[in-house]
Amino acid sequence: MPDIDPTEHEIADLGPKIKDVDDADELREMLALEEDGEDRVPVKTLIEDRIEKVEAEDEGELDPETVDLTEMTVADIANMVRDVDDADVLRDILEREREGKERSSAITQIENRIESVEGSDDEGEDVEYVPPEEKYPELDHPTNDKQWVEGTAGAEYRDMWVFCETQAGELVDVSKEMLGKARDLMDQYNEDYDADERVVAVLLGDEAGDYVEDVTAYGADLVLYHEDDRLERFRHKPYTEIVTDMSRAGGELASEGHEDVDWKDYHEPRYTVFPATNNGRDLSALVQGALDSGLASDCSGLYIEEAMISNPAKVGTAGDKKEFERVLHMKRPDFSGFEYSTILCIDKPNRDFHPQGASVIPGSFEIPDPDYDREAEVVEYEMDLDDEWFEVGVTEFDRLSGGVDLTGNEVVVAVGRGIGDDPTTGIELALDLVDAFDDADLGLSRGVITSSYAFDSHVEQYVSEERQIGESGQVVEPDVYIAAGISGAIQHKVGCDEADTIVAINTDPEADIRDFSDYVIEGDLFEVLPRLTEAVERGELAAAVEASDD
Amino acid sequence: MTDHERYEAVVVGCGPGGAAAAANLARNGVETLVLERGVDAGSKNVSGGLIYAEESAPYTIDGLFPDFREEASERPVTENYIHNVAGDKVKTFDIGDLHHHDTAWADSVLRRRMDSWLARRVHELTRETGGGLLTEVHVTGLLREKGEIVGVTCEELDPIEADIVVAADGVNSELARDAGLMDWEDPDEWFQGVKAVAEMDPDVVDERFDIDEDEGEAHLFSGDLFDGVRGGGFLYTNEASLSIGTVFHLDSIAEERAEPQELLDSLLTHPLMAQWLGDDYHEVEYSAKLVPDSKKAALTAPHQDRLVVVGDAAGQMQAQGPIIKGMNHAVTAGALAAEAFADARSRGDPHRAGEFYEKKLHDEGVMDKLRPTSYRAVGKIGELGPIDGVANAVAESAVGRFGVRAAEGLVERAYNSPTLVSMIPDTKLPYVTLPTILGEELGERVTDENHVQPPELDDRIGDLTYDVGDPHIELVDNSFEASGTAVTACPVSAKDFGGGCYRDEMVQTNGHEEHLVSLDTQPCVECGTCAVVADTDWEHPAGGKGVEFEQG
Ligand SMILES: Cc1cc2nc3c(=O)[nH]c(=O)nc-3n(C[C@H](O)[C@H](O)[C@H](O)COP(=O)(O)OP(=O)(O)OC[C@H]3O[C@@H](n4cnc5c(N)ncnc54)[C@H](O)[C@@H]3O)c2cc1C
Ligand SMILES: Cc1cc2nc3c(=O)[nH]c(=O)nc-3n(C[C@H](O)[C@H](O)[C@H](O)COP(=O)(O)OP(=O)(O)OC[C@H]3O[C@@H](n4cnc5c(N)ncnc54)[C@H](O)[C@@H]3O)c2cc1C
Ligand code: SF4
Repeated sequence: MPDIDPTEHEIADLGPKIKDVDDADELREMLALEEDGEDRVPVKTLIEDRIEKVEAEDEGELDPETVDLTEMTVADIANMVRDVDDADVLRDILEREREGKERSSAITQIENRIESVEGSDDEGEDVEYVPPEEKYPELDHPTNDKQWVEGTAGAEYRDMWVFCETQAGELVDVSKEMLGKARDLMDQYNEDYDADERVVAVLLGDEAGDYVEDVTAYGADLVLYHEDDRLERFRHKPYTEIVTDMSRAGGELASEGHEDVDWKDYHEPRYTVFPATNNGRDLSALVQGALDSGLASDCSGLYIEEAMISNPAKVGTAGDKKEFERVLHMKRPDFSGFEYSTILCIDKPNRDFHPQGASVIPGSFEIPDPDYDREAEVVEYEMDLDDEWFEVGVTEFDRLSGGVDLTGNEVVVAVGRGIGDDPTTGIELALDLVDAFDDADLGLSRGVITSSYAFDSHVEQYVSEERQIGESGQVVEPDVYIAAGISGAIQHKVGCDEADTIVAINTDPEADIRDFSDYVIEGDLFEVLPRLTEAVERGELAAAVEASDD
Repeated sequence: MTDHERYEAVVVGCGPGGAAAAANLARNGVETLVLERGVDAGSKNVSGGLIYAEESAPYTIDGLFPDFREEASERPVTENYIHNVAGDKVKTFDIGDLHHHDTAWADSVLRRRMDSWLARRVHELTRETGGGLLTEVHVTGLLREKGEIVGVTCEELDPIEADIVVAADGVNSELARDAGLMDWEDPDEWFQGVKAVAEMDPDVVDERFDIDEDEGEAHLFSGDLFDGVRGGGFLYTNEASLSIGTVFHLDSIAEERAEPQELLDSLLTHPLMAQWLGDDYHEVEYSAKLVPDSKKAALTAPHQDRLVVVGDAAGQMQAQGPIIKGMNHAVTAGALAAEAFADARSRGDPHRAGEFYEKKLHDEGVMDKLRPTSYRAVGKIGELGPIDGVANAVAESAVGRFGVRAAEGLVERAYNSPTLVSMIPDTKLPYVTLPTILGEELGERVTDENHVQPPELDDRIGDLTYDVGDPHIELVDNSFEASGTAVTACPVSAKDFGGGCYRDEMVQTNGHEEHLVSLDTQPCVECGTCAVVADTDWEHPAGGKGVEFEQG
C-alpha cells in the first residue's frame, strides 16, 4: 500500500502532498487505487504527471560514462551533457556517439559542450567581421545589419550630456530631474573610477542663455548653449543638427571650425540623457541615430555598473564572456509598468555604440535643491544654421491653456449650489462683484459644475471644471475669499482655507462653512451679492476687511 | 490571426471566488494570470463579514489556503442571536442551531485584510505557473474572435487571450453582462448591503460581549426599526472593531424611497445597541455593495464559450433566511471551475470546461443550495400580492398573535430550520410583520439609553479615500422619473443633500420647470445600486481609481 491513498483526499490537498512522492512504483499503485476508487480525471492526470516527472528525474541520474547513447534521443543527450563538466568524459561520449548512431546534431551538442567547459582560449575562433556590403552583395541597401553612419571603433568617450528642455520661458521640471540624477551618477562615477568626468548641460532656443544659471544650480559642470531667434519653437531638423555638431566638436568627426575646442577633447559623449517628452523623444531618436548609437527610450531608472556579456556579436568570440565597464544600465517599464527591462548599449568589436543614450520619463527622479553658488564653465556654441533646416516652419501655434488660473488673484468670489433657484442670475451677480474689485476672478464649487442647471449662453462659458476650487480643483490663497451658497464640504475647504479672510454668504447659518469663515452673512445670496457689490464700489468693503486684518 | 498576449487561464477579480479559482488552477499546473482592478485586492470589496466553511462543500477557503484562519480572519463566531424588534421591545432567539447546521466553522472577516492576504498567496502560486496577479487593471469586456469568446479586453493593457476566462468580478459583473448572461434591470433580484465599521479596543470587545479573545458573536436584527423596508441588520465582532450593517431587498428600498444611511442609523441608535456600542462610537468606514439574491439571480448555466462565471458575478449569493452566504459559495464555485478546466484539459478539450463546471455545480449540490426547489414551490407563491396580504392580515389578527404567543418554542425552532428559512418568501411578512409581532407579544422592553451619534453623510464621504478618475457612470436619462430613485437609494446621496452622487434639481428651461437629477461620481462607493434603479451607462472605474476601502 502506498503512503497516500488518493481516494481519501481532495484534489486540492493531493497536489502538494504528491510532490513529496519520488517513487514511480508507489505512484503507480496510487494511480491504480484511484482508478478502482473514485476515478477522478484530474487526480489521475496529477498522478500521471508526477510519474512522468519522477521517471524523468531518474533518467537524469544516468551515468554519462556508461549510458547507452543509441537508446537516447538527441534532446536527451543535449540535456545530459549540459550537466557534465569533465571534458574527458565528454570526449568519451563524443567518441561513443561517433561509433554509434553518428547523429550530426548530437555531435554538435557534445562538441559545443566541450568547448564551453574548456573555455575558448586563444584558439577560439574569432567571429569574422564582414562589412554588410560584402556580406550581402545582392542587396543595394543591406539592412540586416544596421548601416552605420560613422563606423567609428575604439574612440574615446567622456562625460554625461543632458539635453535640457525649456517650455514657455521655463526650464521644464524633467530637465531639473535629469540634471540632479546626472550629478549623482557622475559623482559616484568619478569616485568609482577615479575619474574627472563632467555633467554637460545643453540648451537651445531663442533665449537659451537665460537658463545657464539654472542648469548650473541644478548640477551642470559645463553648459553649452546656442541661441537663435529661429529656435524659439522646437523643430527637429535644426535641433538635431546642432546637438549632433556639439557632440562631435573636438573629436574625430568634428565639423569645420570645431576641430579644436578647448572644452572638449574626446570623440563624443559617453552618455546622453534626453527628456521623454514629445520633443525630447523626437530629438533623442534623431541625435542617437546620427551619432551612430542606440537609444533606450522612456526610461525610469539609470545606474552605472559593469556588465558581464556573453553575446558573441558583442564579445567577438563565441562562448566567451567579457566584462564591460562603466555601462549605463537603463531601466524601462514594459507591459504598462508591470515589468521592467534593463537596456544596455554596448560596443561591438568593430563598431562603437556610444553615446549610451536614454530618454527619461518625466517625474522618474527627484528635483534636487538648486545651489545657486555652484559654478560651471559656460560655452556659447558658435555655429551657422543652414536655412534649409528651417524649411519646415511653424506658421501658427496655440498654447493649450492650463485652464483658468485663479491662484494669483487678490480676491476670489465663489458660488455654490445656493444659486440653484436661478443659476444664471447667480453667476451674473457673482461676476458683478468680481468686476467691482481690481484683481478678482470667479470660482465655483464642484456642486455647481456637476449640476443639471440650465445656464444661459452668456454665463455658460464660466461653468467648467477650470474654475473648481477644492481637492480635485484649484487651491487658492487670496486675500479675500467670498463663498456664496457653498456649504463648505471638506473637499471644498482644502481649496480655500488658506485665504486670509473668508466671507460666507449662506441662508443656513449652521452650514459647515461657518467653521472656517471669518465672517458669515446669513442671507439669500440673490440679495446679499448686489449689496456687497455696491459696498465694494463705494470702497466700504475693502475698508472693512483691511480693518479686520489688524 | 492577431497576435495577443496569451495565458492558459485568465481570472478576473481577486475576491474569494477569483482567489479560489486561481489557487486551484495553479495547483493543477495551469498558467494563470489574475487581473484585479483595485490598488490592492480587497480595496474594492465589502461584506458583512462571516465566512462559512460548510461541511457539505467540496472546497473551503482554509482547504485551499491552509493558514487562512490564523492569518486572514478576525474571530470565530461562537454565539448567534436574532433580535425581533418592535419599538423598544425586543425578543431575542438563539439561532445557534441554524448557524451550526452544516457549518465546520465560521469566522468574521474584514475584506481588505482578508483579500490582500489571499492575493499574496495567489500571486505566489500563480507565479510558479508563469502567470501572476496584476492589480490596478480594469477588465472592460470580452475579447471575441469570429463571434466566440477567446479572452478579455482591458483599460490598461492590450487584449489577452486564454483557454479559459474565469469571471470572478463580483456583483455588477461587466463580463457576465457582456456575455449577455446578466442584465441589471430587475431590482428584486438584488439586495443592497450597507455597513459601518466601528473601531473598538479588543479588550473592550471582549468585555462588552463577555467573550474571550478567541470567541466572537453574530447578532441579527429584524422588525419595525427599518420603516417597513424588507431586510434586516447585523452586528459582528472583529478583533478590534465591530461590523454593523443592513441588508435590504433593493426593490423595497426603491419602492419606499428609503435612505439607506438613515436605515443604518436607525439600527445604530436603537436602545438595544447601547450595551455594545457604548458612549464612544467611532466609525472608521462607511461602505456599501449590492448583493445578488441567488434564488432569483443565480445563473443556471454560468458559462459561455471559454467563459465561466463564479461567485457574485454568477449570482451565487445565498440568503439562507437571515444568514448570508456569498463568500463560501464563491470559493466553491471558483475551485470547481478550476477543477472543470483541469478535467477538460486532461481530456484534450480545454474549451469544454464550462459544461463540466455546470455539471459539478449540480453534482456537488451547490445549485440546490442557491436555487432551492422548496423556494420555487412555496416562496414564489407567497410573494404574489393577494396571498401575502392575507398572510399579513392573519399574522396581524388576534388569532395570529395568539398563535405566536402560544408557539414561542415553535418559532425559535422554525428560525433554526435551514429548510424553512430558505423557503421564506420575499415579502413583508417574514421580514417585518412577523418579527414585529414577535417583539410586541414576547419582547422585553430595553431601557438602555443609546448615545451614539452616527456621522452625517458628508463626514462619511469625507472619511473615505478616493483617487478620482474619469466619471465611470453616465446618466442616460436625467429625468427624475427615470433616475430619481437613485437620489434616495444611492447610499452616498440623499434628498436635500448637495454633496452626494445623485441630486434632484428643479430646473427652469424656456419658461417651464423640469424635475431633473444630476450626477457627480466622485463620492461614489461603487455599490452598483444606480446600475439597477436608474437609467445609466454603468461601468467600474479604471484600474486603481475610485474609492479605496481600508476595512471592507
Ligand atoms: C453588506 C454585505 C454583507 C455581506 N455579508 C456576507 C456574509 O456575512 N457572509 C458571506 O459569505 N457573504 C456576505 N456578503 C456577500 C459577499 O461579500 C459576496 O458574496 C462575495 O464577496 C462574493 O465574492 P466574489 O469573489 O464573487 O466577488 P467579490 O468579492 O466582489 O470580488 C470581485 C473582485 O473582482 C474585482 N473586479 C470587479 N470587476 C472587475 C473588472 N472589471 N476588472 C478587474 N477586476 C474586477 C473587484 O475589485 C473584486 O476584487 C455580504 C455582502 C455585503 C455587501
Ligand atoms: C473625492 C471628492 C472630491 C471632491 N472635490 C471637490 C472640489 O475640488 N471642490 C468642490 O467644491 N467640491 C468637491 N467635492 C464635492 C463636495 O463634497 C461637495 O459636494 C460640494 O462642494 C458641494 O457643493 P456646494 O457647497 O455648492 O453645494 P451644497 O453642499 O448643496 O451647498 C449649498 C449651500 O447653499 C446654501 N444655500 C441655498 N440657497 C441659498 C441662497 N439662496 N443663498 C445663500 N445660500 C444658499 C445652502 O444652505 C448650502 O449650505 C468633492 C467630493 C469628493 C467625494
Ligand atoms: S453612484 Fe451608483 S454605484 Fe455609486 S454609490 Fe451611488 S448608487 Fe452606488
